[in-house]
Amino acid sequence: MSEKEKKPRKKSRREFLQDLGIVGVGTLIGGSAIFAGINYDKRKKQAERVKVLTAENELLEIEKSDTTKVIKSKLENLTYLQKEGRDGIAGRRFVMVIDLSKCRNARKCMAACNNAHHLRPEQHHINVLKMQESHDTPAYYMPKPCQHCDNPPCVAVCPVDATFKRQDGIVLIDNERCIGCRFCIAACPYSARIFNWAEPIKSVEDEDLTYNVELNVPQRKGTVSKCLFSADRVREGKLPYCVSACPNGVYYFGDENEDTVTNGTTKETVRFKKLLEDNGGYTLMPELGTHPRVYYLPPKGKDYPFQDKDKPEAAEHLGNS
Amino acid sequence: MLKRIIDLRVALTLAVTILYCANDFAANNWNVPVDKKTKNSYIKFDAASASQGEAIYNKNCASCHGNPGKGNSLKSLSPVPPDLSSAKTQELTDGELFYILSTGRMIMPSFKNVLSEDERWRVISFIRSSNKSYVQTLSKFDPNKSKLVKINLNFDPATHNIRILAIANEKSGVVALKDAEVALFAIRYFGRLQIGKSTKTDKDGMANFKFSKDLPGDKAGIVELVAKVNDENYGEIESVTKMKVGIPTDKPALNKDRAIWNVLAKAPIWIIVLYSFGVLVFVLVLLYLLNNLRKLKKTGDN
Repeated sequence: MSEKEKKPRKKSRREFLQDLGIVGVGTLIGGSAIFAGINYDKRKKQAERVKVLTAENELLEIEKSDTTKVIKSKLENLTYLQKEGRDGIAGRRFVMVIDLSKCRNARKCMAACNNAHHLRPEQHHINVLKMQESHDTPAYYMPKPCQHCDNPPCVAVCPVDATFKRQDGIVLIDNERCIGCRFCIAACPYSARIFNWAEPIKSVEDEDLTYNVELNVPQRKGTVSKCLFSADRVREGKLPYCVSACPNGVYYFGDENEDTVTNGTTKETVRFKKLLEDNGGYTLMPELGTHPRVYYLPPKGKDYPFQDKDKPEAAEHLGNS
Repeated sequence: MLKRIIDLRVALTLAVTILYCANDFAANNWNVPVDKKTKNSYIKFDAASASQGEAIYNKNCASCHGNPGKGNSLKSLSPVPPDLSSAKTQELTDGELFYILSTGRMIMPSFKNVLSEDERWRVISFIRSSNKSYVQTLSKFDPNKSKLVKINLNFDPATHNIRILAIANEKSGVVALKDAEVALFAIRYFGRLQIGKSTKTDKDGMANFKFSKDLPGDKAGIVELVAKVNDENYGEIESVTKMKVGIPTDKPALNKDRAIWNVLAKAPIWIIVLYSFGVLVFVLVLLYLLNNLRKLKKTGDN
C-alpha cells in the first residue's frame, strides 16, 4: 500500500517537474510572443492614427480605419468657401505700401492679376496709371488697386450684402450674391470696381469650378468684380499675385498688427510705420474719410524717367490751358 | 613740338581707353573675394536638386532673369539682368555664383536672409543643369556637423538685449563657435524681420543684439525668434525660440463697430428698435387719418 502510494507520488513529482518545465518554457515563449504581438499592434495603431478637425473646430485623434471620406457636394463646398471667405483671418490687419519711386511701368503686376482672376485684357483689378497733377509738376506711374478702406462706401451702399469687409481688413465681393446693381461702382471714389459686361474670358473652362469668394473665379457675367488683396494667397501666408510678380520692388505687403511689411521683389521685411515715416507715406483722398489700407510712398528720386510716349496720356485731363 | 603733341594725343587716347575699359570692367565686376571664389557646394548637383532649385528660382529670380535659355529677362531694367544659361554666367565658379546670389549688388537684391544656404546651392544646381560641359567639384564639408551645434538665446529685460550663445558638443568636449556670423530675425506673417545687423561671435561663442522695445508680439507679447549662425567648420545652423519680448497686441476686428449697416443682420439693436418704432408711428398716424376721413364721410352722408 505504502509502495503503491509512494510510486505514483514519485512519478507525479517527476511528471510535475516535467510539466512545470514545459509549462514554464511554454509560458515564456507564449508570453513573449503575445508581448511582441501587442507591441507590434500598438505601434501599428500609433502609425495609423490620424488627427481630424471637427466642424466644431475640435482636434481629435482617431484610428484611420474608423474614418470614412465625406464627399462634399458642390453646394457644400461653395458654402464652406463663402463662410471662410467672409470670416477672414483672425488677428490680422493687412496693409499694402506702394513705392512710386520704383515703378517703371513694367505692368507685370497687372498681367499676374489678370491671369489669376481670369479677367479680360481690358479689365483691371490693378492698373498702372500715368499721373500728372498739373502742367508744372512731373508725371509719374502709379499702380492703383482697390484701397480696401476701413470705412468703405461701397459696402455701405450694397443692398444685398454681397460686398463686405472682413475682420482682417480685406473688402471682398461675393458674386453669388451680387445682383449687378452697380451701386458700389458709383460709390467707390477710387474707381476700383469693374463690371462684367461681357461673358468672362474663361467661362467655358471654369464651368465646373466651385466659385471661390477669395479669388472671384469663375467670374460671372452681370456682376461686379474688384481687387481682392489676393485673399486666397494671403490665407496661405503667401504674398499677393501682383506683389510677388513685380520685378522692381514697388510693392510691400504685410500685417499692420505686426508692424511689418515684406517687399515682393527682394523679400526683405521692414517695419511698416518706419517705412512710412522715413519716406513720407500717404493715402489717396484722405479728405473723404475712407481710411484706405493702401499706402503710397512719393515718386521721389526715381532712376527711371517718365517715358515721352506716355506724356500725352498723363496730361490729357489738364487741357491746353 | 609736333612730336610732343602727338605724344600727348597718344597718351590721352590711351588714358581714355583705359578709363573706359576700367569703367566697363567695374560694371561687370562683382569683386568676389578670393576665398569665396573657390567655395564649393556640399550638395550634389543632380536632377533632384535642380528641380528643387527650379521651384525656388521661379519664385525669386524668374521675374527679372526670365527662364534660362529663353532670353526673356526683363529688358526695361538697367543693367539688363543676364540670362543665366549664357556663357558669361556659366564661366563663373560655383563660389562666385553663390557670392553674387548671397550679397547682391545694385539692382540685384541680396538673398542671404531670404534663402538658406541649402536653398541657394539648389538654385545654382538649377542654373548649372542646362550646362552640359559643367563638372561639379564637391565640397568636403559634411552638413551633418551642423547637428552638433546648440544655440541658446537669453533675453535680458533690464537692457532689452538678446544674447546668443553658440556651442558645439564635440566628442572632445564643448567647443564655442568663434568668429561665426550671427543674425537674429523675428518671424512675421510674410517673412523674417532682421533684428539689428549681422555680427560675429566673440571667443566664447557669444553675440549680443539690441532688441527694439516697440515690436508687436502676439496677444501675450510672444515673438518667434530665429537665430542663424554661419560657421566655417559647422555650416549654417538655425534655431527657433519663442520669447516674451514683444508688446502684447490684440486689436479689434476691422468689421466691428463701424457704420456698415446696409443689411438687417449687421444693424445694431437700437437702430432696429428706433426704425420699427418710426414705422409703427407712421402706420398709426395713417390709420388715425383714414379713420377721421371715414368719420367725415359718415357725417357727410348723414
